[in-house]
Amino acid sequence: MTSVMHEDGPRGAAGMKRNGSASMRRLFAEGAKGPIGLLAALVVLIVVFSFLNPRFASIENLQNVLFQVSVPLILVVGATLVIQMGSIDLSIEGIMGAAGMTWILLSPNTRTMIDLGLWAWLIALVLGMSLGLMTGVIYAKLKVPSFVVSLGTWYVGLGIAILLYGNNSLPSLTSEALARWPTGLTLGLPHAFWLAALVLLFGLLISNYTNLGRGLMAIGNNEPIARMSGMPVNVYKIGAFAIAGLLGGLAGILATMQLGSGSTDIGFGQLFVVIPAAVIGGTALGGGEGGMIRSALGVVLLIILNNGLVLAGVDPDYQSGVFGLILLFAIIAVAWPERGRLKVAK
Amino acid sequence: MKILTMKLTGPTRRAFGAAAVAAALIAGLGATGADAQTVEHPEGFNPDEWVIVASVINTTNPYMISNIEGAEAISEALGIPLEIVNSNNSSQTSISSIYAILASGKKPIMFVNTVASSDAPTIVEAVKQAGGYVTIWWNKPDEYKPQDVGDNFVAFQKHTGVDSGRCGAQALAEALGGEGDVILLPGVQDSTTSKTRVAGFRAEIAENYPGINILEERPSNWDPQLGARNARDLIVKYGDQIDGVWSADDGMQIGAMQSFENAGLLDRVKFASDGLYPKTLEDIKSGRGNNAIVGETFHRGYMASAIGLYTAYLAASGQIVPSELEDNKRESFFKLSCVTPENYEQYLQYDEEGAPAEFVERLIANGPWDTEPVPLVGGGVEVLPES
Repeated sequence: MTSVMHEDGPRGAAGMKRNGSASMRRLFAEGAKGPIGLLAALVVLIVVFSFLNPRFASIENLQNVLFQVSVPLILVVGATLVIQMGSIDLSIEGIMGAAGMTWILLSPNTRTMIDLGLWAWLIALVLGMSLGLMTGVIYAKLKVPSFVVSLGTWYVGLGIAILLYGNNSLPSLTSEALARWPTGLTLGLPHAFWLAALVLLFGLLISNYTNLGRGLMAIGNNEPIARMSGMPVNVYKIGAFAIAGLLGGLAGILATMQLGSGSTDIGFGQLFVVIPAAVIGGTALGGGEGGMIRSALGVVLLIILNNGLVLAGVDPDYQSGVFGLILLFAIIAVAWPERGRLKVAK
Repeated sequence: MKILTMKLTGPTRRAFGAAAVAAALIAGLGATGADAQTVEHPEGFNPDEWVIVASVINTTNPYMISNIEGAEAISEALGIPLEIVNSNNSSQTSISSIYAILASGKKPIMFVNTVASSDAPTIVEAVKQAGGYVTIWWNKPDEYKPQDVGDNFVAFQKHTGVDSGRCGAQALAEALGGEGDVILLPGVQDSTTSKTRVAGFRAEIAENYPGINILEERPSNWDPQLGARNARDLIVKYGDQIDGVWSADDGMQIGAMQSFENAGLLDRVKFASDGLYPKTLEDIKSGRGNNAIVGETFHRGYMASAIGLYTAYLAASGQIVPSELEDNKRESFFKLSCVTPENYEQYLQYDEEGAPAEFVERLIANGPWDTEPVPLVGGGVEVLPES
């Protein structure tokens, strides 16, 4: 579409004929080749922040950062699939609100006397996926730009959350076990992060080992060719949005658990972490480029940047400005290795 | 972009409002007459010519929901239909929705919880053109005064932020025995409400509690999750050095408390904030975290909107002439009560079922400036103390 594929980039229309027999090595090679600039930027940030405040490099802060990374990490997996095919999903905050509110009202909470256990998860996830499916179907079948459709879905999700919230008080989790689960540690890392890591692995597998994953990249590179080659383009498009919706639902549940209370605004601000993170990671908004690992590193970069500025004690008056400036430098570092290519940026 | 207004009465109004948000459509569902009118209008006032309008910043924040409840109660008592303007956190949406209502031909009796101070003049001018009466709550430019604009800008009303900050500082400092390190979580950094609360907190500490040291201030945008995140980062930074946390509102405090609980520190840290949300009340009642919450302030959204709308109604119906009122009834401060774990029980009555209607009944009996627990206590432009 808007970008020219480059030689070491992920496989596109040509590569899709290769089937999923690639090795684990190749799975990660896709991530490792691209983001040299991104890794460099990350390392520089970590070194500088550790110098400014030694506590930045502590185990405690590592756990803290990984805890904060988990929700946007889950979201960025879905967002990357959608962006790779040249579309965009703006609905994540609404889906998070709807699924998070559904989940908490069906789990032990201060508002309703209902505890459906695992069913609460299932119902909330299905709701998230249905909203994603709705976006996908309208987008693929009615050919409405995903930007507009997902904007609508955002508000539908938010509307569902507000209806569930009603006039009543904030529902809070009453189950200690659930409220403590995200911060609980296994092998020294918080459970919330393990969940996100599993999702990332799931995303990598889809992206690299399934027809869907390769198909999405092909659609992003050149949709007419993908169609001509007999690819079920609409099915793939709907599939990508359904997965993004499902993961939006999961992120909504996790964020609700992390906060310990339900909120219609539980997804507030996530859109502007997730989409820049994917783009910083090299996932072009035009589609056909990028990868899961790179997007994940983009998320880590944004979270570390915020965390580091607080730990370094940057005056709140300057924090936004400093955040923006460092981000610009980081983006330049990320884009540097790619600058000479026949790349079209719009 | 979209106009989010609704014209409904009855218990399902908010539910429909949510649907309107969901569909991002203009919802113009026909107004039904209110059914529990308790007020005799004065001679010459025809309620059919008027519409009550309450403009709120969003419909998800508990405070805004309470604003809507107050507007519903007053609409019912006066027998005048209600329209809610959901600004969706945007000045632009707020103003365009208000224009749309003004264009409908009815004269507005309006309460506006402004998104930004700078919205006030535009909204007031539009209401004036339409022959309506408006009361603004919380935010307006200091130099923009109702006395200069005329009778259509009936009043500007608020609870003072400085008092709120002082309440929190006293409670927190006393709970810590006058010694300790605290962190502050202000709201949106450039909001007047947040600024005045922070100034009040700092002034009280500087004047009376030299042993209290403010470690750091991290604006958390009124957002519980950002409050939680900043609290986590500050826990990493200061560890168990933190003895107390003050937040500019309960939403952020809810997030911060969760972070301290997760870090296993809730039992040894004290919290103070503003708003006395239901969740906060529960935590005070249950003594969560070794009685972690030590100070709050009491005021309710429904009281603000009811006072604002009733003042505007009195002007619209000719029962008061704003230009003849003394200055502190044009730029008014209403009472804000300091709440502690010792006295919180006396405020429970104001959250019971039907409390807004009960408040409105007393409001109509006593007038907008003399109704407990929020009588008029002063006025003018809030002066920030030096600290």
